[in-house]
Amino acid sequence: MALLQINEPGAVGERHRERRIGVGIDLGTTNSLIAHFDGEQLCVIADDLGETSMPSVVHYGASETLVGRSALAAAQRGSCDTLASTKRMLGRSRQEFEDDPYVSLASGEALALETEIGPKTPVEVSASILAALKERAEPGLDGPIYGAVITVPAYFDDAQRQATRQAAELAGIKVLRLLNEPTAAAVAYGLDEQSEESSLLGVYDLGGGTFDISILKMREGLFEVLATGGNSALGGDDFDRALADYVLSKTGLSDPSSAQRRVALRLARNIKEALTTSEAVTEELSQLGGSLPEITITRESLEILIAPFIEQTLQACRQSLRDAGTDTVDRVVLVGGSTRMPAVQKAVADCFHLAPLCSLDPDEVVAMGAAKQANILVGNHGDNEALLLDVIPLSLGLETYGGLVERVIERNSTIPVARAQEFTTARDGQTGLVVHVVQGERERVEDCRSLAQFELTGIPPMVAGAARVEVTFRVDADGILEVAAMEQETGARAEVIVKPAFGLEEGQIADMLKAGYEHAGEDMLARKLGEARVEAEALIAGIHSALAADRDLLSDTELADLQGEIGLLEVAIDNNDPDRIRESTERLGRSSEVFAARRMDRSIQVALQGVALTDLEAEENAS
Amino acid sequence: MRLRREFHGLIVSANPGVPARDYFSLFNIEPGMSLDEKALERTYHTLLSQFHPDRYAGKSAVEQRVAAQFCADVNSGYRTLRNEVTRAEYLLKSVGVDLHAAEREGVDAGFLMTQITLRERLEDTPATDKESRRALTEEITEHYHCSRDRCARSIAASDWSEAARAWQEMCFLWKLLDAAQPAEH
Repeated sequence: MALLQINEPGAVGERHRERRIGVGIDLGTTNSLIAHFDGEQLCVIADDLGETSMPSVVHYGASETLVGRSALAAAQRGSCDTLASTKRMLGRSRQEFEDDPYVSLASGEALALETEIGPKTPVEVSASILAALKERAEPGLDGPIYGAVITVPAYFDDAQRQATRQAAELAGIKVLRLLNEPTAAAVAYGLDEQSEESSLLGVYDLGGGTFDISILKMREGLFEVLATGGNSALGGDDFDRALADYVLSKTGLSDPSSAQRRVALRLARNIKEALTTSEAVTEELSQLGGSLPEITITRESLEILIAPFIEQTLQACRQSLRDAGTDTVDRVVLVGGSTRMPAVQKAVADCFHLAPLCSLDPDEVVAMGAAKQANILVGNHGDNEALLLDVIPLSLGLETYGGLVERVIERNSTIPVARAQEFTTARDGQTGLVVHVVQGERERVEDCRSLAQFELTGIPPMVAGAARVEVTFRVDADGILEVAAMEQETGARAEVIVKPAFGLEEGQIADMLKAGYEHAGEDMLARKLGEARVEAEALIAGIHSALAADRDLLSDTELADLQGEIGLLEVAIDNNDPDRIRESTERLGRSSEVFAARRMDRSIQVALQGVALTDLEAEENAS
Repeated sequence: MRLRREFHGLIVSANPGVPARDYFSLFNIEPGMSLDEKALERTYHTLLSQFHPDRYAGKSAVEQRVAAQFCADVNSGYRTLRNEVTRAEYLLKSVGVDLHAAEREGVDAGFLMTQITLRERLEDTPATDKESRRALTEEITEHYHCSRDRCARSIAASDWSEAARAWQEMCFLWKLLDAAQPAEH
């Protein structure tokens, strides 16, 4: 049902639109991939050598920036300007990495990494990876990429999601949606998608740096996430480090240099991968420079080293089953490179009492699901497309008196969601209050992640407890939060879109983007104008056809106002100024919202009558 | 002594300045405690299948915004009505019962004793003793059903103060049932 447009095939506003190109991007800790759905099949886009995975590694050299395999080669020559696994640092604070022996931080207040060409933030590194993926994909597509679905670990908090969005913005990629990785995998598998009977699916996703578990209910094209859990700092990297530490301890290197650590880490990764198929591996250690010439590691000793990490993932699985209100699932699928390990597969099988499915490549499945969804979100959808209902992984709340957290939106709430709670003042004559937004499950503020803080002022002096402040939380379909506070008596308002505390400042992004635009020149302006016009004309056409059908939903004044705004937009279109067209489109959009909402209410009545009829039929069939 | 409030939250529309939708009429069901959960879920799915913002992908920003606001209401409504404790709270609030005042009044002394005893017995039963845990969980569930039925009857009879008392008992017992399950965190 179109709210403003008449949704007949070939109707105005639909007819002349060309097919847009959407891509799916799996921005991983270890490897990143880009995939596309060409209308018939899903394909993961490979590089010149036929490799689909691009190592999430960036080398910032004085003369050039290398991404992927070439950067990895630079790293193996021992260059410390090569950054890997930076996804772990997205949206995090500097304090969390100060004691990490495997990273070298640049000096300063922000979380940034040392390179030959100066400090680089995790957001910039991710942007370099995204830009390289886009560059890889574009030559093989029929046109420019309109937008991308970028996957994130389901357990990413608000700050980590915001940082991912910023990275895309820096890379010049329009984000159609941030999609949770396990949900993307479920879409790619598409099991029981069209079945009338509902079934439960568990997705166990253990990657290089993150772990997620999601429990989904699937029925007739609906993918409903019932619960999700995980750890956004647990993955194959931890296995590598545990093994590297073990190797270093065996060689008698009590205080290894950072170069030795890097070598040990690389050896550990080789050993781990070899142990997926072999029972024991012997690795030569001369590069380490210790006293031991070589070391033999058995699969069993690796499994003992990583057992505590695997147990952590199983705890999260049990909690998610409980949150979903079930003891077991009908199927469980494995996603992420670390699920290739026999110990992981066995642990999952024991936990769910099921043999896990891994028929799709665990490295590619997330990008494939994202591409499928991207095709829908650019508007190339048919009637029976899948609908994803995802949840927020962690509760959102506010700091209240005494440093306690008052939860406003519970974890596992389906998004988009909005909820408000009423608060009051604690002291007589208090005229302002601080709204401190936090995310997490713990009772005390210091145990949760702080997302944002803002002040509401202008409350008239009253006795304690008399003011009524309504705080509204809104989480959009990307899982990103917006908070507003309003004093009910006076209407004093304050609101924020929660900005990542540890990402880039708005100004920094604007500067970086400007530097990029200067190269783009006139092409860019022409494209911008074209896009703005198409959007404006489609909106006007939509409103006209909606008016033809449901004119009675507006009063005469409302109608006159709407027509006035349409006139202004038409003038802006004639003037060929993209910024003015955008501005007027936005204004017309705002003023037509009430009309669209009323049309929606009318169609809801129709939809509900449909349900009532189905119920009646079901009863008749039963009797 | 009074029970700590575990379930609350003023429900508002996702759209500021517009009065909140009534959840029962949103899902086309009669207001009351008894409710066909299957039908509720079916209506929920029907509404989202048709009006989810993703269904307006590629359409104007207005349509996506209106759809997102509507879905936020649908999601909040479903979450509220699906659970009996929040459903009761919603029913009581929507007829203007002051639950804060009810809490200050508290529950009656008999229930207070019952809940203290149940809590103590739960603390004394180790999670490893699965048989005793199960028996205790069943006993708590029975108490919960009893309070829930009383709440439902009182709401039907418009006896709001009795309904508010029964609702507080439901909150407490629900919380206790949750604690009786082994936690993973």
